[in-house]
Amino acid sequence: MLIDIVFEGVFMDQDLENGGKFNYLYGLINLVVVFCIVWFLWYLFMHADGVMKLYTPMYGFSLVAVLLASVILLSKVLGWPGDGEKALNAGSAIGKGILGTVIALAIMYFVYYVVFWQFIGGLGVAYFSPGALVAGGGTGAEPWNAREWASTAILYFSTAFLWWALVWNLGFGRWPWQKDGPWVVGFSKLIVVSFFAVITFAVMFHPHVCILFPEAQKMVGAQAWWEVWAETGSAFWGLGLVLCTLFWVVFCDLFWEGRPFTLMDKDGDGTFLRGIVTFLVTLALGLLLITVLTKVFNAIWLEPYQGGQYTDGPDWRYIHMGEVSGFCVLFAFIWKNYFNNFPNGLPLIPRAVIRSLIGVAGGLLIYWFYYSSLSNFFLGKVAGWAQPDDQPLVWTLLFLSVVLIQSEFFHNWPLRIARRDK
Amino acid sequence: MKRRDFLKGVAVAGAAASVTGGLGMMPKAAYAGQKVDFGQVKSVKVDVLSETSWFDNAIFKKNIMDYGGGMTNQYDIPWDWDNAGGYMTKITVTPLEGEPKVFLMDTGWNNDWVDYIYDEKSDMGKLLTSKEVDTMILSHWHLDHYWGIESTLKRNPKITMIAPKTYYPEDMKLLKGGTNIAKTKDGKEVVINKNNVPHEGKLMLTDPKGEDGSGIYKIMPGMAVKMYDVPILLRVRGENVLYFNVKDKGVVTVTGCCHPGILTLNAWARRNVKDYQPYGCYGGLHISLFETWDPKFDDIIKGVKAFKLTKVGCNHCTGWIWADKAAQAGVPVVKGTNKYKTYKKYSTMAKANNVFLTNGDTVVF
Repeated sequence: MLIDIVFEGVFMDQDLENGGKFNYLYGLINLVVVFCIVWFLWYLFMHADGVMKLYTPMYGFSLVAVLLASVILLSKVLGWPGDGEKALNAGSAIGKGILGTVIALAIMYFVYYVVFWQFIGGLGVAYFSPGALVAGGGTGAEPWNAREWASTAILYFSTAFLWWALVWNLGFGRWPWQKDGPWVVGFSKLIVVSFFAVITFAVMFHPHVCILFPEAQKMVGAQAWWEVWAETGSAFWGLGLVLCTLFWVVFCDLFWEGRPFTLMDKDGDGTFLRGIVTFLVTLALGLLLITVLTKVFNAIWLEPYQGGQYTDGPDWRYIHMGEVSGFCVLFAFIWKNYFNNFPNGLPLIPRAVIRSLIGVAGGLLIYWFYYSSLSNFFLGKVAGWAQPDDQPLVWTLLFLSVVLIQSEFFHNWPLRIARRDK
Repeated sequence: MKRRDFLKGVAVAGAAASVTGGLGMMPKAAYAGQKVDFGQVKSVKVDVLSETSWFDNAIFKKNIMDYGGGMTNQYDIPWDWDNAGGYMTKITVTPLEGEPKVFLMDTGWNNDWVDYIYDEKSDMGKLLTSKEVDTMILSHWHLDHYWGIESTLKRNPKITMIAPKTYYPEDMKLLKGGTNIAKTKDGKEVVINKNNVPHEGKLMLTDPKGEDGSGIYKIMPGMAVKMYDVPILLRVRGENVLYFNVKDKGVVTVTGCCHPGILTLNAWARRNVKDYQPYGCYGGLHISLFETWDPKFDDIIKGVKAFKLTKVGCNHCTGWIWADKAAQAGVPVVKGTNKYKTYKKYSTMAKANNVFLTNGDTVVF
């Protein structure tokens, strides 16, 4: 049959993970379905004309950031549900998928409303809790402002957590718990990742959120140390840097299959050296990406200046760098999961280079989508750049969460499992 | 062609070529070439007709949040009518030669409030009726600057209106003499604005290119309008800004909300206006709108100082807290008076330090 030939010749490719053929048409259909699911979720939770209207924007922003962090915590840090090979039938994949989704949502709810709002915020660091902020009083400290401010703090912490969770996996791997069982490894990694996330939050984000309401609480935190060169006291600088670093972490992990850092492996697992080198190199590359994007943005929008607003604001330039990186990261996961990380038949370096180029092009494609009139229709977004209430990362992280839930918890059902059953 | 201009051209052309449909908003760039000379005026006097667009921040914000946040369409919100006021400014421009000319910027929100301001707290009602004021500059299509249009049109339906081209159908429906309706959460329909006097005058729609690609529209020697196509909360787009070049002083900007940013306005003038000298500004500066604080507001204080403005008149969406902190930091904020207390209503945020130019105040540039 002609259709079979076409499918075999054009749409099918070796499936590296599952040792069979991968059907690109099914991948595309899967992507379209996921897009529609995200669209539905956006309308349900975020859209200004939707049901929940959580896109305030920081409340919705922080909720999806914590959702993504919960998915990463469960799948990448704790390592649950583990190897997809254990779930080779659809029934098992669906069961685990539903269970994983429910657990991730429960973690999100628990971390967001109990740990941050009630426990840490309510009893210790007030800026994590709207209630504590309102109780503290001050100009502008009313429920809506307080929730936005607490959301900003939670977003920053989630970003720090995501950074360390992903960079730890890529760099240290299971080190130093290679000989221990999966739960020992998982919880040990959780403690270490959380520890470094706290340090990162304190240094990169606390100087922003600690100022609270007028009069600014300047004695509570150090003056923003990045202001000298970043030309802004906003921690959007740090947010941009972390996301630009994650761009390299994800590209290296997915497209370069861990190289070159895995060259430092010992007995097939991570080492201390690999961890340190991975952290430093990806951080340096993140800074390099910021430098490159600074020049690109300056060419388009001219030089920013301290106090500039909209596209002239250095703070917006930094978060926009993070948004560009976020688009590319999203596309990298899409390419990996729905297009089988094409190409696969070449030696590592050429296939990794081609994937990386495709990844950047795909990120720019998502960029185009988000800033085109299509997003006005799909997302209810006002056209244009830099509207303070427009945070492209909200949609990006929501999309990424759904992609990861399918790949990590559902073992890519129905895309791969269904074909294997056949 | 300089390398920088070439890069800009490539970037802008690339973006423009890749995007079809509604995106056509790639920023700046195009006007950074030849500097414009739009003449000079002798002086500009600004009378604050009303800067109190709403009287209670909490109610206004609750209206927004209850119906979906900052990206919500302003026409979908059944606003609390008792909280509505409006933003209107009387601008008297004295040319180098000849008689002063008076302009109106914006037309407020609540018709009761606008009528009260026009007839009882100023001479704007008479000036409109007598056609001495024949031109209104609409800064942008936000409710508090535009929905009171009937009050202006019933006094002068033939008034020339200069407005951003980025209007929505509901905006034009109101201008042509119509009514807009929103639904409450329980499905009840509420009239949110109305206009029984269709606009009969000239409607001049502005875009960022300006006249002849200069970026501006010259209104009279020394006075120009520039449109910035920026996305704004409540689904609005684009803002008109007034530029004046005051002889022996420098460039003055007069704004409704200044969404593009006061430094952006001056940065554009620095790049594009011949013999640019910074001098002053008047209007809402859209900074700490809801009296909150953020490190980027400190950035703006430092930026305004760096730009060396010598007369900063602000109010409305600037945020009292920003104006206060800016004044403390050495920004030359023009202080207001207590005249606002003679009005039948005033903002719950008004403070004794008078860092706002409030209703009834005047500033001369």
